[in-house]
Amino acid sequence: MQNTVTPAPAMRRGFALSAVLPALIITGLITGAWQLSGNNQTSLALSLLLGGTFGVLLQRSRFCFFCVTRDFIDDRDARGLLGIIAALAVGTLGYHLIFGLFVPDPAGGRLPPDAHIGPVSWVLALAAFTFGVGMTLSGSCISAHLYRLGEGATGSIAALVGVLIGFSLGFATWNTLYLAGIDQAPVIWLPGLTGYGGSLLIQLGGLGLLAVWLMRWHRPATPADTAAPVGFRERLLGQRWPTYVGGLLIGALAVMAYLRVAPLGVTAELGSLARTAGSGLGLLPERLQGLDGFSGCATAVKNALLSENGAFILALVLASLASALAAGHFRLQRITLVSTLSKLTGGVLMGWGAMTALGCTVGTLLSGIMAAAVSGWVFAFFCLLGLWVSLFLAQTFAPRTE
Amino acid sequence: MTVATTLRRVVAVTALTLFAGLAQASTGALVSSDWLAKNLERDDVRVIEVSVNPGQFERGHIPGAVNFRWHTDLVDTVSRDIIARDDFETLLRDAGISEDTEVILYGDTNNWFAAWGAWIFDIYGVENVRLLDGGRNKWEAEGRDLGIRPASYAQGDITVAEADNSIRAFLPEVVDVARSEAPAAQLVDIRSAAEYEGRIIAPDGVNELSVRAGHIPGAVNVGWGNAVNDDGTFRSADELRALYAEAGVDGSQPVITYCRIGERSSHTWFALSKILGYDVKNYDGSWTEYGNSVGVPVTNLAGTVWGGQ
Repeated sequence: MQNTVTPAPAMRRGFALSAVLPALIITGLITGAWQLSGNNQTSLALSLLLGGTFGVLLQRSRFCFFCVTRDFIDDRDARGLLGIIAALAVGTLGYHLIFGLFVPDPAGGRLPPDAHIGPVSWVLALAAFTFGVGMTLSGSCISAHLYRLGEGATGSIAALVGVLIGFSLGFATWNTLYLAGIDQAPVIWLPGLTGYGGSLLIQLGGLGLLAVWLMRWHRPATPADTAAPVGFRERLLGQRWPTYVGGLLIGALAVMAYLRVAPLGVTAELGSLARTAGSGLGLLPERLQGLDGFSGCATAVKNALLSENGAFILALVLASLASALAAGHFRLQRITLVSTLSKLTGGVLMGWGAMTALGCTVGTLLSGIMAAAVSGWVFAFFCLLGLWVSLFLAQTFAPRTE
Repeated sequence: MTVATTLRRVVAVTALTLFAGLAQASTGALVSSDWLAKNLERDDVRVIEVSVNPGQFERGHIPGAVNFRWHTDLVDTVSRDIIARDDFETLLRDAGISEDTEVILYGDTNNWFAAWGAWIFDIYGVENVRLLDGGRNKWEAEGRDLGIRPASYAQGDITVAEADNSIRAFLPEVVDVARSEAPAAQLVDIRSAAEYEGRIIAPDGVNELSVRAGHIPGAVNVGWGNAVNDDGTFRSADELRALYAEAGVDGSQPVITYCRIGERSSHTWFALSKILGYDVKNYDGSWTEYGNSVGVPVTNLAGTVWGGQ
């Protein structure tokens, strides 16, 4: 897959892998969407296209919450985190634009439909913290595991299996936690308190302050980066994009997704799988109190083979595979027992955290903060705290392996 | 134009008008999507969406339509009841509805909840209310315009009447019918055959349950879906008349419709009362009230026992 001089058969194989296969995958996704839209299933068709675009953006710009946070903690490289802030800023603007249509009077006590605005409680803080620890143990968050799957990260399978187990545990503890801390917790939507103008000011002001703070801490990378100039194809398909490019586009994509289908989220389908399997086996409580009344990556027992979120995830992984193949980033990962166990355990923690927090770094952090939900900010804070504490402990007691 | 042709024309038009007037009397409760598309710009036409699924209206609705949320706008959110008179009047006035406004209701899932809305409009004596035949599905399937901009209208001045409960059945009346040797009304159960026969207590995935299975004694089972065509429009008045006559419901006696929570049965209430002109009450307590009541007679063909093994 390298562009060096190689024997002809290998080159042909390289061409097949880096050009033909990606083209086939992308064509397949577009054809699927076309078929579905002709079949009056517009939301499913859109989910395929949005998921595919999300997969390419995640893969191209290495939009991995864990990696970019670790870059900052270890190397004081703030570029990745600034990319996430870029996504949040664009998303905040777009969401508020849409909110003005959906809920003309924000003070009226209604919440915008489907927006991921959750209850703010100690349970959310605990779930987010646990999610952060799970990210450290498994090496990335759930969305990053999904796009990494497309890069050949076989270890991510263990993490995702762990997530399914974690979800089941989340369902098992939900009823207890619901009565202990969730049902009376306030669901705080900033525009409901301050109007759209105030909410925009608070959100953008907060993000701006964070960005300034990050830039002050940022230590510019060594000039080794400025190598020979590269061509357009290499820049687009070969090299990683700067995280902020992915961030800006993901912010825009999030707005489109909310307008047409639902907020971005990657765990609803995983949760549904766990819930369907769990209730099929009779392992889960018959009734999950209050769960279906919350917006978020709510999970229903499956009644269709391909749900909107299922189509979204499927397209995400496939498009990421296409993108990784085109870039030559596809490598089958060698797995060891220790790393597999670590990824599995991390997955379990993330699954439990994502179920209990009604979403993960995408569904609750990105889609929540964009929607001006206090729950999104709380999740972000405690998730980063969990990540930071566990990373500190891991690096103190075990050497960095990757 | 000769006098003869003019005369012939006048006669033809008069006959047509008379005939059309008769036809209108039987189907005047519905408007077609074509009609609505042509009359959308009229100031005295107000389109109201009442859908089951939240978030649908916001992502696209018939341009100019106003959203009534059945979970919160059209009910009392504390006690189990329909919206109170004063609240309903405020809701309508906020939607810019005045005495002379023509209201067109539509919604998703074959107008279930739009029909339920029509029943509430009727209870409060609001006239000039029609359903968009085929509802949201047909409008979308025909590729007609949808808008997302919220409409705002100047306050209307409608005054609604006190609730007229002659089209609403309550439990005591239904129990009387169930116990009577010569019942004063015919009961129509519009749920699935499995629910009617008592093989299941409720469809999968619903939260509102009863602790008894079966149906109200004497009720006939005509699933609500039998009343619609594939495109979600109501079947013709003749077809509907034949359908219900087959089950023994011919309008010679008052009718009471019910389902599980009283919403889908409004659809059949609409077909029987508004299209066929029968004397019909909707029992909104439905099976979740009746099947939970103590000491009332129940017919449970399947013999399903609730709870313990």
